[in-house]
Amino acid sequence: MDKLTEFFLQHALSTILFVPVIAAVVITFLPNKESICRIFSLIFSLDILLNVLVVIFSKFDPNLTAIQYVENYQWFGDMIRFKLATDGLSISMVLLMAILLPVTIIASEPIAKDRPKLYYSMLMLLSISVLGVFLAQDLFLFFLLWELELIPMYFLIAIWGGPNRNYAAMKFLIYTFIAGVCMFAAVLLLFFASGANTFDMEVLSQYGKSLPHIFQLACFLLFFICFIIKLPSFPFHTWLPDAHVEAPTPVSMLLAGILLKMGGYGIYRICAGFFPEILAELGLWIVLLAAVNIVGAAIACLVQDDMKRIIAYSSVSHMGFVLLGVASLTPAGFSGGIFQMFSHGLISAALFMLVGTLYERTHTRQISDYGGMTKYMPKCFYFFTLACMANLALPALSGFVGESLVFYGAFTSKYFASFPTALHFNFGQICVLFSATSVILTAGYMLWLVQRIFMGPENIKWSKLADLRTSEIVVLALLLALVVIWGVYPVSLSNLYEPSSSALVSYVSKVVSGL
Amino acid sequence: MTDQILKYSWLIAAVPLVSALLIIFFFHCSRKISAFLSIGAVAYGLTHSLFVLYAIYTNPEKTIELNFPWISAGDFKLFVGYLVDPLCAMMLVVVCAVSFFVQVYTHGYMKDDPNYSKFYAYLSLFTFSMLGLVFSTNLFQSYIFWELVGVCSYLLIGFWWYKPAAANACTKAFVVNRIGDMGLLIGLIMLYFSTQNFWTNKTTLAFSELKGAIDFAVHSDILPVVGVISVTTIALFVLMGPMAKSAQFPLHVWLPDAMEGPTPISALIHAATMVAAGVYLIARSYPLYIAAPVAMNVVSWIGGITAIFSATIALSQYDIKRTLAYSTCSQLGYMVMALGLGAYSAGLFHLVTHAFFKAMLFLCSGSVIIACHHEQDMRQMGGLRKYMPVTSTTCLIGVLAISGFPLMSGFWSKDMILASAWEQNKLLFAAGAITALLTAFYMFRLYFMTFSGSYKGHAHPHETTPSVTIPLISLAIPSVFIGLIGSPLLKGGDKFSSFIFYGEHHLYHEWGFGVFLKELMTTQGLIPLAAFVIGTFIAWLVYIRRLPVNTFIQNKLKPIYNLSFNKWYIDEIYFWILHKIIFPVYRAGWNVIDKVIVDGIFVNGSAFVVSLIGGGLRYIETGRGQMYVLVIFGSVLFALLFLLTRLK
Repeated sequence: MDKLTEFFLQHALSTILFVPVIAAVVITFLPNKESICRIFSLIFSLDILLNVLVVIFSKFDPNLTAIQYVENYQWFGDMIRFKLATDGLSISMVLLMAILLPVTIIASEPIAKDRPKLYYSMLMLLSISVLGVFLAQDLFLFFLLWELELIPMYFLIAIWGGPNRNYAAMKFLIYTFIAGVCMFAAVLLLFFASGANTFDMEVLSQYGKSLPHIFQLACFLLFFICFIIKLPSFPFHTWLPDAHVEAPTPVSMLLAGILLKMGGYGIYRICAGFFPEILAELGLWIVLLAAVNIVGAAIACLVQDDMKRIIAYSSVSHMGFVLLGVASLTPAGFSGGIFQMFSHGLISAALFMLVGTLYERTHTRQISDYGGMTKYMPKCFYFFTLACMANLALPALSGFVGESLVFYGAFTSKYFASFPTALHFNFGQICVLFSATSVILTAGYMLWLVQRIFMGPENIKWSKLADLRTSEIVVLALLLALVVIWGVYPVSLSNLYEPSSSALVSYVSKVVSGL
Repeated sequence: MTDQILKYSWLIAAVPLVSALLIIFFFHCSRKISAFLSIGAVAYGLTHSLFVLYAIYTNPEKTIELNFPWISAGDFKLFVGYLVDPLCAMMLVVVCAVSFFVQVYTHGYMKDDPNYSKFYAYLSLFTFSMLGLVFSTNLFQSYIFWELVGVCSYLLIGFWWYKPAAANACTKAFVVNRIGDMGLLIGLIMLYFSTQNFWTNKTTLAFSELKGAIDFAVHSDILPVVGVISVTTIALFVLMGPMAKSAQFPLHVWLPDAMEGPTPISALIHAATMVAAGVYLIARSYPLYIAAPVAMNVVSWIGGITAIFSATIALSQYDIKRTLAYSTCSQLGYMVMALGLGAYSAGLFHLVTHAFFKAMLFLCSGSVIIACHHEQDMRQMGGLRKYMPVTSTTCLIGVLAISGFPLMSGFWSKDMILASAWEQNKLLFAAGAITALLTAFYMFRLYFMTFSGSYKGHAHPHETTPSVTIPLISLAIPSVFIGLIGSPLLKGGDKFSSFIFYGEHHLYHEWGFGVFLKELMTTQGLIPLAAFVIGTFIAWLVYIRRLPVNTFIQNKLKPIYNLSFNKWYIDEIYFWILHKIIFPVYRAGWNVIDKVIVDGIFVNGSAFVVSLIGGGLRYIETGRGQMYVLVIFGSVLFALLFLLTRLK
């Protein structure tokens, strides 16, 4: 028995990665019935969650800042290895994925009636890719898994999507394709320029900072463009509203919940980990970009007529905080960025679920078609209000923690102090003050959305609508319970990643100050 | 025993939270259990807080402060905890007492509402948040609860969500409050940033250490007193929070609209407790303002302007609750002005007295509204005295208390404020005195229009049930007598100021009726009294003797009348800016940037180019997608092969 445990712990990460592979295969042999496929994939996804929890609670030591659970196998020749490992940063993202996957599967019921086998296999294929990106420690493996995400996602949108799905899927594809090309170029450039003869990320991160400046800059920019396409950030964000509007609800939940975090994770892992000097150098531009995202997307939310678009743009706005946190290069900013990714994953998934339940019943996304929905769907209203409060960063809900940490981190960053302005605030601080207006704007668009959908005189047209089903309540209650728990007691989450993120910050500042 | 009472004082806040959760999750179907749980929780809180007040009053040294880490990242640490000191103990009693009576009243007022249980759950939740705010040990914790009371207020204003006015009002209230919250958040971040070295091994931004932190920062030249990043700007940013929450000009616009909510919450949240939270926060962060004289001045002027400005609006309103709402703004202006003038205890004293009499006045208005079958227009009332003796008597007590009838609670606190204004700033004294005159006028106007003359409506008014009248009577008692604790009549002089003070020197050491008369017979004592008499007399002339002053003003001084009647057009100006400037600019900006530049030129343009290059593949819709996948994986495969051959 001990041997078995030992064996499992030694191969824990590859187990996590192979469960969805097996699941995808098993599902293809199942009868083509939605309920059977759903139950099987739910079991597999719960197994993934269980594995992740075992990893966290058995041998995982958050205070150990180095990578843990290392598995290193030969793959293509000697250089391209199948190397998996985790640390606080990656395990928290894996945990988020492991939480979201079963929730998404529960939410898939109405969508997957059409071709259930294909749908659930695609979902499993997607989770291989996402989990792999967070666990890979070999740059080539990272890139392959990153690209793998494209296929299931394209089909999930193009087959089960809304009326305009082909345009959206294509747009998604083109953007991700461009991102992939950038990353591919960057990976090869890094590989050949460093001459390290390996794709091991640990080794390359050491080489990265000693490259000639121009190479570093080129690699950084290529990686960065790839990641901000995924994040997404201005000016590469327009695929997101289109993709969300057309994607079916569970796919939207995964897209906003976890796929965007791949971009954020990449910025942490590669942009900050490999090229700290460039990050410090370009910090100012990134802060500016972050401020544009935060405020600009919030403004875009205010002028939308389509409720799914509002939630989509609000994702852009909230992911801007991740950029702001990274660019600040402070412990608070880094930590806040990670917390923000985590909490946004939960909140946006809940919001897309809610919007999706409304759309499923009414088949309209136009806000003006709604009004007074509380009368017919009171439970939906309560959940919506809670999710909306979480989205506008109400204290005691998880959104607040990330945002306040990021604001503080960015305001105090010493890297911006070298950019004084005539206003006595340094440039970074001005960007923070500007971003702080999002506190008002977010409240404005979220509450206005609630008001237009749920309050005021009711629309008789919807009087036949049923309130939330049990499965929907389960999904929302799970997500929002976590939002509340981590909002009230954030240390329980931040303990997991905090040492890794602090270590990353101190590494970055050490490199930048030339020690 | 005393130690135990203080140590477990957090239960005062925790019990309402538990009751709220129990109602939401388990007992929302049972009206009786919900009401029992909610009222029971706050009754416990009231009892416990009275013990706490007694314990602290007898041993003022026995303050308790406990902190627990909430989150940390590097040097950045935040704490939550609870602090029990005189100010907190006093606020606990005020909040619990008002909340208790309002919750009893709710049973009568909301008994026909289908969402009766939900209302109690929200009330409990609000009580918890407000008590959490009172217990806060540091500014960050205050910010947390500050927003929580805001969201409770949002939920309660929008309780009757099907009324479009209520739906607008709750959104407006939250968004306007968010403007203040943004300032508060920026202020906190700047303050923490400027004093961060001070807080190692201390509770971040603790109120008890605030003075030390600011002295440290100022003396070690980290933080100037005046400048762009200075004590003054921090204090002004922090002030934005109280300005929104306590409905100070120009962020007062949400409070009158908030009256769309059920009357019990207008009494509890929008008169007695939550709106006073701004004043409480200024008092808690007083070291910040003491260190920045300019900010102090701004505080006093904002208070003074709000006081007189809202009073002028209250003169001409016909909605009974809106009149009271503007009066609340005006009285909050007094409190803020007092704090700005350095009259710390006077401002807080007015907070206490105002909480009781204004809560009672709102409850009276609610009673009248039920009696007149949800009629709020005072022109449709009149002559209710003979139908509703209890309500009219308590209302008269409230009107006398707020207008400063000698020896009643409002008299003492208002006099204290005006006396310090007389010493500090004659202009603000004048504003305060005129406000007092206007207050007496519009309060008696309200009373006369509602209760005297003959009934003009079409309903059949009747006295309301005991669960409505008993809270009225109970609140009438403190409305009359609570002021005595700050008066020179009691043995030992001004008890309130010696209990709660912040370095003021004018503590009364003398007491007795002679002292009172001597103080009254000074200029600053006689002017407010005269203001009361004149204001009341004019109201009597106009509304009892029916002098045609109103028609004269409406006809001959139409611009002035319109200015007051239309609330100085502030709402119109804001909405004009919002709809004519902000939204069009946003819409145009979004259209240009996202639709035209990014999507139009950048994306679809490049897609067009790609499809040109793609040539023949263009007509196969999904074929294009598969082609991309093919291309990317082909290139990956190629690269792999290339690497393999190269390195073998």
